[in-house]
Amino acid sequence: MQRQVNNIVILGGGTAGWLTASIIAAKHKITPTNSAFNVTLIESPDVNSIGVGEGTWPSMRVSLRRIGIRETDFFRKCNASFKQGTQFFDWTCKDKRSYIHPFTLPNNYAETNLVESWQKLSHEVTFAEAVCPQSEVFDKHLAPKQISTPEYVGQLNYGYHLDAGKFAELLRKHATETLGVCHLIDHVITVNNNEVGDIKSLTTTSREIEGELFVDCSGMQSILLGEHFKIPITKKHKYLFNDSALAAQVPYEDQNYKIESCTLSTAQKAGWIWDIGLQSRRGIGYVYSSAHTTDEAAHDALLAYINGSSKPNNPSPISPRKITFEPGHRTAFWHRNCVAVGMAAGFIEPLEASALVLVELAASTITDQLPYDRAHMEIVAKRFNKDFSRRWDSIVDFLKLHYVLTDRQDSAYWRDNKDAETIPESLADSLAHWKYHPPWHHDNIYASEMFPSASYQYVLYGMGFKTHLEQSRESFKLNSWDIAKQCFENNLKQSKQLCATLPTNRELINKINTYGFQAV
Amino acid sequence: MPNYKLVTSAEHRNHRIITERSYALGDGLMHIMVFPLEFRAIQHHFPIFFAKDPEDGSFYATALLGLEQDENLFLQGDGWAANYVPMMMDRSPFFISFQSSQGNKEKPVVSIDMDSPRISETTGMRLFDDSGEPSEYLLNVVKKLEAIHSGHDHNKQLVKALTDYQLMETCNIEVELVDGSKRKLTGFYVINEDTLNKLDGEALSSLHSKNFLQSIYMCLASYSRIGILVEKKNSLLTPDTK
Repeated sequence: MQRQVNNIVILGGGTAGWLTASIIAAKHKITPTNSAFNVTLIESPDVNSIGVGEGTWPSMRVSLRRIGIRETDFFRKCNASFKQGTQFFDWTCKDKRSYIHPFTLPNNYAETNLVESWQKLSHEVTFAEAVCPQSEVFDKHLAPKQISTPEYVGQLNYGYHLDAGKFAELLRKHATETLGVCHLIDHVITVNNNEVGDIKSLTTTSREIEGELFVDCSGMQSILLGEHFKIPITKKHKYLFNDSALAAQVPYEDQNYKIESCTLSTAQKAGWIWDIGLQSRRGIGYVYSSAHTTDEAAHDALLAYINGSSKPNNPSPISPRKITFEPGHRTAFWHRNCVAVGMAAGFIEPLEASALVLVELAASTITDQLPYDRAHMEIVAKRFNKDFSRRWDSIVDFLKLHYVLTDRQDSAYWRDNKDAETIPESLADSLAHWKYHPPWHHDNIYASEMFPSASYQYVLYGMGFKTHLEQSRESFKLNSWDIAKQCFENNLKQSKQLCATLPTNRELINKINTYGFQAV
Repeated sequence: MPNYKLVTSAEHRNHRIITERSYALGDGLMHIMVFPLEFRAIQHHFPIFFAKDPEDGSFYATALLGLEQDENLFLQGDGWAANYVPMMMDRSPFFISFQSSQGNKEKPVVSIDMDSPRISETTGMRLFDDSGEPSEYLLNVVKKLEAIHSGHDHNKQLVKALTDYQLMETCNIEVELVDGSKRKLTGFYVINEDTLNKLDGEALSSLHSKNFLQSIYMCLASYSRIGILVEKKNSLLTPDTK
């Protein structure tokens, strides 16, 4: 008889570890009477989690609800704010130097592809303005909902900005106090194999922890998958050059200062700067290519950005923290009875905040397809590896898309990014295809794609990409101008109505802190 | 800005209040806040739902009077088509507020909205008699205002119990009218009967001890009054067959 998978051991107590523990434990309820199933999380006493990835996708609403955390508590405890997408500055040199990638799909997206009709109007209105109300909402720093909207429901689609350290703390408390996860703070001294070469147990300074499945959430160190099993990294440096970051925290000028509705991403000479508005501070960082600039120059660019976007009389001096990473992912994510989640599995620049959503997806996959026994685990692992390789490839393609469409020529970084050698073949193929057919539902081949085809639309047409209308006249007939006009008008109406009723982010967050959301 | 004035015999000796109900006098409301102590009278005529205060998202009990914005189906012909007027409607144009004079406890005082179309010098109920004593009508208004004041507290406690036991659910009622059109009641909340039926004895006894159980069942009973609203609406849509 094969041993059933009843004891899951998670190594690492950052957001990846606690999210995974919570998602598993919330589904496979651990109660004192059902002690056959155990989730144990081992956390080293002196490892500081990196705390990047302060932006989430809308999927986090589903994850938090699934875990059983109230949205009100999440806002109050994690310094959280609403993220409704990203606004990109200076990624092109066009007159309009910014464009947005909002989370809300274009008007009537299920039925109507508005790209071709919009192209006729492209001299008067940007794509996002024409099809999505979030354009105006971003400009006015409005929230995606009202205090009377039930928790986790939005009038517009949203995710969050959060303080990763506080988030891990909230998850830890919930996982240990409500979901029955065992928490052990100790150093792992040895990783012990069994006779067939699976991990049998982890020896800590105080005890030995056995399990049937080990989840490696140990961060970049990748203690189990990388160090123990020696699974190498598939490098993505060739496509995405950024391998360094300088991260800083900047307080607001005053406590009523506006909170942005989206992540701001401003292109620089050798990378880009993120600007994330939490309740009490902004998180700002420059992620760059070490081959294209020096740490000193990056530091100067970051300070110039901070000084340009806040009052110079900042009380505390800014001392950014340096992070280096190797863009890429492990060649296999699930090996034998060990699966890596989070940075132990891979890391890439946070351009589209893919870090936390990958943790959610991995944790949900492990939870929903939890292997019954060791034999079954082989099949689950095979599927998991295939699935996540594909996800990583589509992330690389989508991130690279932001770089290949630029008309910037001002530095080697931007010129190199357009070099055909640095563009994945799959992306080059897609770009060639989109010249004649705008992205549409048929671009999403799998049921669970990382990015909806709408995201490609927002980036492509935000960056000034042109799809040739002449070549696709036939499809245009199907998508008649009348229907499109109605969609544009509906969007305008919706935008007006939302802007008249939605509070600002600051107003709503103050109300959440005072009154809270209702569950329904 | 509302023009509130303290009610005094010196200032309001000659003022009268028109107590009829009509659209012109500001009664064109789709729903109006109600309080547990009047649930028994309310449920006889109107569905009791819950709505959210847009300011803080908190729930309050409310009686449904119409099927769309600014519609009050109980305003018909020459008056009020029910034998009970909800207190919040009846109290108009008066408000209660609290004044603290130095060192003393807060004292309730009655104010009046001087911009209200209900104020007249020729018709309606007098506020004071010739000698300057408060009229029977005014004394009654004060009683109602005090009931409303404590009613806010009762509402808060009831709503807290309902949310604590997760008894509140989104109202998904759509009615079809005689002309084939549909009205969806959005933004309202009702009591979840399934959850209520699954409450254990301890929960029920706790709800009962505060008299909430009675309020809950009155809400449930009131839902059948939606039929009365639909009937009233239908008869407006088909005046010939009346």
